[in-house]
Amino acid sequence: MKRRSALLATAAVAGAFGLAGPLNADTTLTFVWHAGTCADALMSIAKGYPDKSVSIVPALVPYGPEWHNKIASEFAIQGDAFDFAMWDSQSTAEFAGGGHVVKMNDIFDQSSYLKADLFPAASLSQYGEYPDGSGQFYGLPANQDAYGLMYRKDLFEDPKEMEAFKAKYGRDLAVPETYQDAKEVAEFFTRPEQGLYGWGQMGGREYDFATTASNSFLWSFGGELYNPATMEVQGYLNSPASIDGVQAYVDMFKYGPQGSGNWGFDEVNAAFQQGQLAMAMQWFYFNGSNADPKVNKFAATTGFGILPGAVGRDGKFRRQFSVGGQGMGINKYSKKLPELVKFMEWYFQPEQQTRYAAVCQTGLKSVLESPEWQGLNAYNAQFSKALQYLNDYWHLPEYPVMLDQLQEEVSNAVSGTKTVEQALTDAAIKQERTLERAGYKITRTAELPEVPDVLISPVGQDSVVAANK
Amino acid sequence: MTDTALRPRSTGRLMIIGFLSPTVILLLFMVAYPIFSLIYYSFHNFSALRPNEPMTWAGLDNYTYLLSDNDIWARFVFTGKFVFLCVSMQMIVGIFVGYQLQKTFRGRDVLFTALMLPMMLSPVVAGFLWRYMLNSEWGVVNYLLTVVGMDKVDWLGQSTAALWAAAVVDTWMWTPFIVLLATAAFRGIPETIYEAAEVDGASPAYLFFRITLPMSAPVLFIALILRLIDSFKQYDLFFALTGGGPGSSTETVSFAVAKTAFSYFYTGEASALAMILLCIIMGLAMILVRHLSKMGEHD
Repeated sequence: MKRRSALLATAAVAGAFGLAGPLNADTTLTFVWHAGTCADALMSIAKGYPDKSVSIVPALVPYGPEWHNKIASEFAIQGDAFDFAMWDSQSTAEFAGGGHVVKMNDIFDQSSYLKADLFPAASLSQYGEYPDGSGQFYGLPANQDAYGLMYRKDLFEDPKEMEAFKAKYGRDLAVPETYQDAKEVAEFFTRPEQGLYGWGQMGGREYDFATTASNSFLWSFGGELYNPATMEVQGYLNSPASIDGVQAYVDMFKYGPQGSGNWGFDEVNAAFQQGQLAMAMQWFYFNGSNADPKVNKFAATTGFGILPGAVGRDGKFRRQFSVGGQGMGINKYSKKLPELVKFMEWYFQPEQQTRYAAVCQTGLKSVLESPEWQGLNAYNAQFSKALQYLNDYWHLPEYPVMLDQLQEEVSNAVSGTKTVEQALTDAAIKQERTLERAGYKITRTAELPEVPDVLISPVGQDSVVAANK
Repeated sequence: MTDTALRPRSTGRLMIIGFLSPTVILLLFMVAYPIFSLIYYSFHNFSALRPNEPMTWAGLDNYTYLLSDNDIWARFVFTGKFVFLCVSMQMIVGIFVGYQLQKTFRGRDVLFTALMLPMMLSPVVAGFLWRYMLNSEWGVVNYLLTVVGMDKVDWLGQSTAALWAAAVVDTWMWTPFIVLLATAAFRGIPETIYEAAEVDGASPAYLFFRITLPMSAPVLFIALILRLIDSFKQYDLFFALTGGGPGSSTETVSFAVAKTAFSYFYTGEASALAMILLCIIMGLAMILVRHLSKMGEHD
C-alpha cells in the first residue's frame, strides 16, 4: 500500500514537472501577441481549424514593452514556451539577427501554398525582411497597420463652422492634406471653454508612443532618422528638416487637452470618443472600435482619413507616416514546425483572411485588392491607399536601444525640458555612441543635407497631392 | 576517558554542520551563485539575446562606460531625490499616525486595518491606479482641485510634478508599513513610564519627544533602513505610473538596470550597473546597521 502511494506520488510530481508522457495526442500551438481585437479575431478563426487534434493557445500580454520583453526573454533562454509570435516590424532585425527565428524562405521552398507572392512585396519586406534588401524573410505580414486620421464630420460639415472658418482663414474648411493646414484647423476648433480641442495625438514616454507619432511629422518634412549608408545619425536626425518636423509635432500639443503630451493610444481614443477632439491621429487598428456606436458615441459622424503630409523647407510635398502592425514569425526552438506550417497554410487562405480582414488589416494581397473588402466599411479603401506612404524605424538589431533613446529625447521636447533641436541632437549623439559600441563604423560626410530625404529615399513632390478627397 | 570527553563535542559539531549545511548549500545556490555570475558577466561584453555572438572580455569597460555616462548619474540623482522625499514623508506621517493609533478609541481596529490596505496592493497595480487618478484631463485628483477653485496640474507630464506625484504615491502605499511598526513600538513602552512623567508634570510634547521617540528609536530605525533600501530599488511603481518619463526624468537606477537587462538585452552592461547599485545599497545598509548596533549598545 505504502509502495503504491509512493508510486502515485512520484507520478504526480513527474506529471507536475512535465516529465510524464503525453496523456493525449493533441498538439497545442502557442502564440504571443498583445491582447486586443486582432488577437481575438485570430483565436476566433482558429476555432474553425479542421484538424481538431491541433489547438491554438494564446499567450497574450498588454501592448508595450512587456510584449517585446516576453518574446525576447524566451528567445534569450532558447525556449519553446511559444511556437509563433506576432512582433513589431522593427523587432525582426533584433530577433532574426540573434538567430532565433525560422527563415520564411525555407517555408516558401517547401510549402505548396505559402509563397512570397501571396503578400504585397512592400508589406513582406516591411514586416519580415532582414537585412533590408536581402530577400531573406523572417515574418509574414499577419496584421498590417498604419497611422491614420479620424475627424468629426458633424463639425467639419456644419455650415456655421464652415462659414466661420472661411471668414477667419480665407479658405474652405476641409480635412487637412498638410500639417500646415492641420495646424489652422486644429487652432480653429480649440475651444477649451467648450471642452473641445482641435487635435489629439500620442506623446507618452512608453514604448514607441511619442516616436511613431513624431516620426510621421519628421519624415513628412523631409527629415530622416539616420543615413543607412554611412551610419551617421548626427546631421540627419537633427537636420533642419527633421527639426521642422518634430517642432510641428510638438506644436500640435497646443491644440490638445492639457497633459495630452503624456497620452498613449487609449487616451487618444477615450478623448475622441467623448467628443473632446475635432481630429485625432490614430492607428487604423482602432478604426473598428471607433466606428462602433457602442464604443464611440460619435461613431455615426466619425470620418476616417489619411494623415496629412507637409510642404518642407525645400518646397517639396511629402506624406510619410509610421508603419504599424506586426509580422508573424516562427520560434526556431519550437518542436512543432510541421503542425505550425500546416496551420499557417490554412490560416493564410483567402477564406480565413477575409474573416480576419473584417475586423483587422490583413496582409494577404488577394483580400486587400478585392473590391468587397475595400467597400466593407468607411476606412478599408483608405487603408489600402495609406500603405504607399509607410515608413519605418531602423531595421537594426540595436533598435530597442535606439528607440528608447529617441523616445526619451522626443518626450523631453514634448514636456519642454529641452528644445526640439537640443533633444534631437542629444538623441543623435547617444545613438551614434550605441552604434559605435555595437561595432558599426560611422563615415562622416563633408556636406550634410538640409533636407536629408533627398539623399536617402526621395519621395518629395512638387505640389500637394490630395489623399482625402 | 579521552574518548568519552570527545564524543559529545564531536557529535555536537556534526549536529551543527548537519543543521547548517542545508541552509548553507541553499544560500550558496540562491545567493552566491547569482552574485558571482553577476560579477563575472559585468566584466564581459555579452547579450543573452545573441547567443551566436561570443562573450568577450571587457575588463572595466562596462564600469567606465557607465560611470562616464551623464545619464546614469542623472538616474542616481533622481533616485536620491525620490528616496529622500518619500522616506521623509513616510517617516513623518507614519510616526504621527502611529502615535494617534496607539491610543485607545472606538473603531480604532477597523481604522487600523483599513489603513493597511494600500500596502497590500502590488506596486504595479498602485501605479496604474494612480496613473488614472492623476490624469490631467479626467483624473479625480485634478477634478478635486478644480472643485476647490485651483488650476489643473499636469502631474505626470512635467519632471518636478512627476517626482512629487511618485513620492506621494509611494508614501500612500508604504506609510502604513511605518504606522504598523511605529504603533507596535509605541505600544511596547511601559505605561508606568508615562504615568511617572505625568505625575512630574510633563507636557504631551515632552512625553512624545523625550520618552516615546527615544524609547522606540531602534524599531523606527529598522523601519527607516527597510524603507530606504526598498525605495532605493524602486522600479515597478515607475514602470506603471510614469514609464520613466517625461524624458527619462523619473527613471530610477533600478529602472535603468531592468531596461538595460531586459529591453536592450545588454547583459554585461546591466550586470555592471546592478553591481554598482548593489555596492551602494550594501554600503548604505552597513552604515545604518552599524548605527543601529551602536544604539543597542547605548541601551
